Amino acid sequence: MTAANTDRAAADDVVAAAPDPDEARRAIEYCYSRGWSDGLPLVPVSKPLLEEFLATTDRDPEEIIGSLEQVGKDVNVYLAAINAAMAGCKPEYFPVVLAAFEALLRDRAARGGGFQSTSGPSPLIVVNGPVRQQLGFNTAGGAFGPGFRPNATIPRAIGLLVRNGFGIHPHVLEQATQGLPGRWQVCLAENEEESPWEPLAENGGVTGGASAVTATLTRTMEFVDNRHAPNYEDVLRDFQDTISRVGSQIFPLSSVALVLCPEHAQMFADAGLSKQDVQNWLLERCGRTGAELTRMGKAEVARKSFRGEYEGDEAFHKFLAGPTSIPVVVAGAKNAAISMVVRIFGEWSGTSVAIGEKK
Amino acid sequence: MPNAILDPTGTVTSAAKPAAPRAPRLASLEGKRVGLLINTKRNARPFLDEVGRLLEDQYGVTVTKRTKVNFAVPEPEDVIKELVAENDVVITGVGDCGSCSAAAAADGVVLEAAGLPVAAIITDSFVPTADAMAALRGAPGYKYATTAHPVAVLTEDKVKERAAQVLDDVVALLVEPGQAEA
Repeated sequence: MTAANTDRAAADDVVAAAPDPDEARRAIEYCYSRGWSDGLPLVPVSKPLLEEFLATTDRDPEEIIGSLEQVGKDVNVYLAAINAAMAGCKPEYFPVVLAAFEALLRDRAARGGGFQSTSGPSPLIVVNGPVRQQLGFNTAGGAFGPGFRPNATIPRAIGLLVRNGFGIHPHVLEQATQGLPGRWQVCLAENEEESPWEPLAENGGVTGGASAVTATLTRTMEFVDNRHAPNYEDVLRDFQDTISRVGSQIFPLSSVALVLCPEHAQMFADAGLSKQDVQNWLLERCGRTGAELTRMGKAEVARKSFRGEYEGDEAFHKFLAGPTSIPVVVAGAKNAAISMVVRIFGEWSGTSVAIGEKK
Repeated sequence: MPNAILDPTGTVTSAAKPAAPRAPRLASLEGKRVGLLINTKRNARPFLDEVGRLLEDQYGVTVTKRTKVNFAVPEPEDVIKELVAENDVVITGVGDCGSCSAAAAADGVVLEAAGLPVAAIITDSFVPTADAMAALRGAPGYKYATTAHPVAVLTEDKVKERAAQVLDDVVALLVEPGQAEA
């Protein structure tokens, strides 16, 4: 027997002890045939697996955790558990899924027509607190994924819940024109260890470093790679330029989440800036004149309010309304000064949801 | 006996009602009260204004106008009640997005069940979503009028042209000649 054949025989022994792949395939194909999948294979859920999920929470399986009045559908804890298991979550992730779903439905646009929208918006989910280490979230490089089970499966669970629980399917009640890359795939665990500031959850009202989730619907994102400027104001102007882009602006006011890499955040903090200082600097400067907006066919944006009066060609029209219009998160590795400007679909609720602990 | 694979889909609840009835049609539009329910989408107002003007000219109707509270979702119950009290028929639109086309169909189904003939107008890109919403609301095969997508970018003249083109379909949705007056 050659060495290669010996290795092959050893591998066969291991495979023989593993579950039946043909049976697994039949179960996966069954899920596809029922129309439950987002396109990728699902974990087929049995009652014992469901029970493991439900055992992680004190909440009643029948408790309704979300209603979309316009489609006449309610989602309860039981359905959330099945969809989370199908998405590939471990049972212990389930309290995070419940908190993320609650946080997302606090977003007015998500309760309205967001999931049906031609924009095809996607949630930005941010996790804070000790749960990040307990469940093995990626809090460092490659924050937007892929590669880490909780970060990848929790947003997928939310997407499956919208598809299966609310019944919002592509080309039917879901009418995304193009959608956006990373839809149902973004769950950041804030890099609190390298952030100079308070965690996002504290801005959302969950204090004391408790584990919490924040979520909002987003339109698109674009990064700011500025790794050579020694002057923090130059870097802020680079952010200002990206935030002031017109493409995704369709209303007089918009919101952006600033996902800062540790290097940018620390540069601002070393210059004495708090999160609020960064927000205020940008609030004052991000926008365009009425003439610029008109030239790009966006005169509607340069109004005092939705369908309000045109402010004039010379008037500088600010895009952002206030601090909750620009939540700041720190994520990623401290290895290059690359940050992300994430455009929020409607408006962040300004609140975070504490992750429930089983008593 | 192996374990069953569990179903992750929800059941239709709250707002969805089985078999929503369609209102009886009118014998004629002559002298009737027409409510325009404008959904705030770009060009919806001039579009429906023109439909209303043509109906005034041709049928001597009385037109009242109302703006949808939120284009993305169906109207609240109190608004539905007022629309039913104040009008003989309602024309709503223009559905030209995912949520607003579905909402136009949903408003139509609810108003029909309350006894009012409705003509919802949506752009032809959103037929599947309007049909799905109507079915969800207990009115599979619900009839509405369509106009070519897009409407939002049309000039004022073109909007009027479109309104004139869809007028016959709107009238056909509301009237059934020979129908006994209720």
